[in-house]
Amino acid sequence: MRGVNSLPTAKPLGRHSRESGNDRLLQMFIRCSVLALLLICFNAHAQSPDLLHSILNQLSQHTAVRANFTQQRQSPALTQPQISSGQLLFVTGHGMLWQVQQPYQQSLALTGTRALRIDAKGHMQLVHSERGVSQISQMLQGMLTGQLDEVTRQFDVRASGSASQWNLHFTPKQARMAQVLKGIQLDGGVYLQRIRIDTQDGMQTDIQMTDTHDAGPLNALEKQALGLP
Amino acid sequence: MTQPSLWSRTGWFAAVALLVILLGTWLLFGRGRSPIQTDLLAMLPATERNPMAEVAAQQLAHANGDRVIVLVAHADDDHAKAAARELAQMLAKDKVFASVTAELPPFDLQQMITPYLAHRFTLLTDVDRQALAQPGYDPQQALAQRINEPFVTGIGVRLQDDPFGWLQHWLEQQPWSRSPLLPEDNLLTAHRDDRSYVLITATLHGSSYDDAIQRRAWSALDLAQGAIEHDHPGTQVLRTGALFYAASARSDAERDVHRVGLISTVGIALLLLAVFRSPGPLLLAFLSTAIGIVAAATASVLVFGQIYLLTLVFGAALLGEAVDYSIQYLTARANAGQAWEPRRGLRQVRPALLIALGTSLLGYALLGMVPFPALRQMACFAMVGMTVACLSVFFLLPALLRRPAKPLSGVSVRLAWALQRAITPLVSGWSGIALAALALLLAVPGWRQLHHDDDVHLLISPPAQLIAQEKQIRDVTGLGNGTQFYLVQGDNQEQVLQREEALEQRLQAMTDAGQLQGWLGLAGMVPSLQRQHANQALLAPLFAQPDRMRQWLHGAGFRDADIDRFIQAWPGTPLVLHDWLKTAVATPFRYLWMKGDEQHGSASLVLPQGDVSSDLLKQAAKDLPGVTLVDKAAGVSHLFGRYRHYASLWLLAAIMLIVPVFGWRYGWHSVPRVLAPPVFGMGFTLAALGYLHHPLTLFHWMALMLVLGVGANYAVFLREGEPYVTHRPGAMYASVLLSAITALLSFGLLAWSSMPALRDFGLTLLLGIGFTALLVPASVPSRNLSS
Repeated sequence: MRGVNSLPTAKPLGRHSRESGNDRLLQMFIRCSVLALLLICFNAHAQSPDLLHSILNQLSQHTAVRANFTQQRQSPALTQPQISSGQLLFVTGHGMLWQVQQPYQQSLALTGTRALRIDAKGHMQLVHSERGVSQISQMLQGMLTGQLDEVTRQFDVRASGSASQWNLHFTPKQARMAQVLKGIQLDGGVYLQRIRIDTQDGMQTDIQMTDTHDAGPLNALEKQALGLP
Repeated sequence: MTQPSLWSRTGWFAAVALLVILLGTWLLFGRGRSPIQTDLLAMLPATERNPMAEVAAQQLAHANGDRVIVLVAHADDDHAKAAARELAQMLAKDKVFASVTAELPPFDLQQMITPYLAHRFTLLTDVDRQALAQPGYDPQQALAQRINEPFVTGIGVRLQDDPFGWLQHWLEQQPWSRSPLLPEDNLLTAHRDDRSYVLITATLHGSSYDDAIQRRAWSALDLAQGAIEHDHPGTQVLRTGALFYAASARSDAERDVHRVGLISTVGIALLLLAVFRSPGPLLLAFLSTAIGIVAAATASVLVFGQIYLLTLVFGAALLGEAVDYSIQYLTARANAGQAWEPRRGLRQVRPALLIALGTSLLGYALLGMVPFPALRQMACFAMVGMTVACLSVFFLLPALLRRPAKPLSGVSVRLAWALQRAITPLVSGWSGIALAALALLLAVPGWRQLHHDDDVHLLISPPAQLIAQEKQIRDVTGLGNGTQFYLVQGDNQEQVLQREEALEQRLQAMTDAGQLQGWLGLAGMVPSLQRQHANQALLAPLFAQPDRMRQWLHGAGFRDADIDRFIQAWPGTPLVLHDWLKTAVATPFRYLWMKGDEQHGSASLVLPQGDVSSDLLKQAAKDLPGVTLVDKAAGVSHLFGRYRHYASLWLLAAIMLIVPVFGWRYGWHSVPRVLAPPVFGMGFTLAALGYLHHPLTLFHWMALMLVLGVGANYAVFLREGEPYVTHRPGAMYASVLLSAITALLSFGLLAWSSMPALRDFGLTLLLGIGFTALLVPASVPSRNLSS
């Protein structure tokens, strides 16, 4: 088989045509880049300025945290802000469990490679089956082994404040991503407190986290959803 | 025959030969493009009963044929990107490339999305379709979940154009959204294993199989690669494309031709010089052989339009058999001594040469009956070459070699005589029969160990380095294997898409089960109208009362003007394949669609991705109307297996064809004696291959056919010639050994060829001719020896 296979046939590299660029980039961004940023923040070994380094170092002390969240979204397409709230569980290197309680009940498991919906009985269903996200998984893995490269390739990072009260600004470097995203801001102290995402179409998403604490042992469902042993 | 007529015949023959040589030279070198076919796929036989499948395989093979794919890798991202830009710039300067793409052109996202808005109510993902089909589907909840999605929502397709996210989900699962390569700094980049990989594609200004293009493109790439490796130490350049495979196949074959051709020419020359002790015969032997080979090449180009690499290498080896006719003529002349007279000499050797030629032609004609372009060409080459070489002995040599010659060198004759005297008593009478029985007993365990191998590798074995590079490129870029695909046929476009959907449902199940990485097919990009109408029907209840929809959207917070626009857009129009194929997005996928005709209807290709067994893929297509799995490699292997099976029968048939010829010439009671050397030679060869644990292939059997032809020749030469050399015992066997050694020098060298098929061929001939040459004294009754 290999003989004939190796005669280059078939698979069009053309699929990486110019159309592909942005769409994929969007996905990457839409699904995961915030998650990715969070993950890097919980990871030490940053080679950037001292403040950034100490912030990351501080966050990385806590490999699994729970918090209450409130997400407020404003969009030019919508007449009023959308507010949702619930609990989240964040596990470094594995992803996040996002449990909305208001205005509806829904549990999502967001890992580097997929988004799963978990129903009341604990059944999991794939929400998006796209494979492009596997790229993000690689990006996450990279960062978790101590490489900020993945993020610094995509963003200019600016740190301000002090280790006890800091903010990080991420501005997209890549023209294609900048077409879509204005910037991301993270605020926090010992823990991450706030995430703000601005997109070019005027949408603002503001996530506040309160009552953040170390997660303690995870239950079986949580482990399963995040792919933990 | 008078002297002038001898000369005039020679003159005519020389004139014709000269014309043929001129024609051949023009055909081979005089035209712009070399007729040497470096596309190894071209010599594979048609394996598909379905004519459309064969066309589809061609279409797929050439979809990317003239493209070169380069991946620049470096541990440092900046270096990788700078190196890729530099490489692309250098390549772009060379006119051998029609286009070189590294930097992506500017791109407007909305421009890509806008055309899809008209079809937003007919395109649904499986996940959305399942959700909508559930009885408890709650549109209000779906809207709330959509606008409250964590982090971001509605980017790409504007939120107000797609409040439920149906179109966005659909666009996300399109193949162009799933590539592992991401645009970074305007370059398509992948990061893995601590390295950055940047993709460059280049299109050749011409064919990958064009000799001149190959050389220019290859050297341009080497030059550019050297430069960036110098400027950015640590850069790794991976490349793949038909170009590299074709060029390496060509250079391998050229090396083989040079090595086999050179060593056998020099070897044969030294041997002839030693035995005939004069350069004249040597030159004439080569002249007649060369005329034969050139005529054979010319005929092959005329008949087939091109010459396969396999034929070229085989042709170089054929030298060893074609020179036999000259050798027989020359030894007859040498043995006649002062009594030599050209016309009588010719009459003396003519029967032997004609019988030898006849048996050879029979063998090659059988080879030519295999419906396999490469083997047919080899057969045609051999038949023309042998015939012309034989004719040139008849027409050229008598006129040019009129004076008597020195006798054969004493050493060679004494050696042959000693050998013959040692062998003959062993193989005659009861001791011969006992020995044969013993040999057979020894051979049986060897035969029992014979097994076989029909892999297509035999014919095509690109260098491991090229395969490794291609594999690495596939791993990084996510490209699949390209020789297995499904052909989906139908009466019309719609039926094809529906059938594709049925297939893809199964492929998706396999993908979910982890058996398959995925697939690429048009129905995933343009669903059938039936599917699109079904999608629309799923949404219809939501739009049945526009006021209710208005209320839901209003409740979710959408603006009235946007709500109106959204509701007015319902029901939209389905996406039509014919129109979609014309769009820019479709460009890289157009080759998946085959324009049908009235007789065959329409067809499309579906490519499975990932290393999957042919059986599993076949299973997926089972009982689906209009769906065929086309697996060229498996098809060829299957064909090899079938012909290998038949080859043993053909060999028997060939022996049966020779029996009456020998019976007529030597009497029926002598047939076993004359036939024994080649037949036993073949048997011992098979036993030896068994002991060597060498798997049998079609090519071993083809070689055995040659062994039969050559071996029968030797028996004929010895039997026909022996009565004329009674004054010089051993002289005839010396001439046969000379023929055998020249054959071994040429065919045997194929055992060291770079092509596995030729290697098997060479090894079999080496063993077969060796055994036969040793056994051939058995063909002469021992009483002749004592006289």
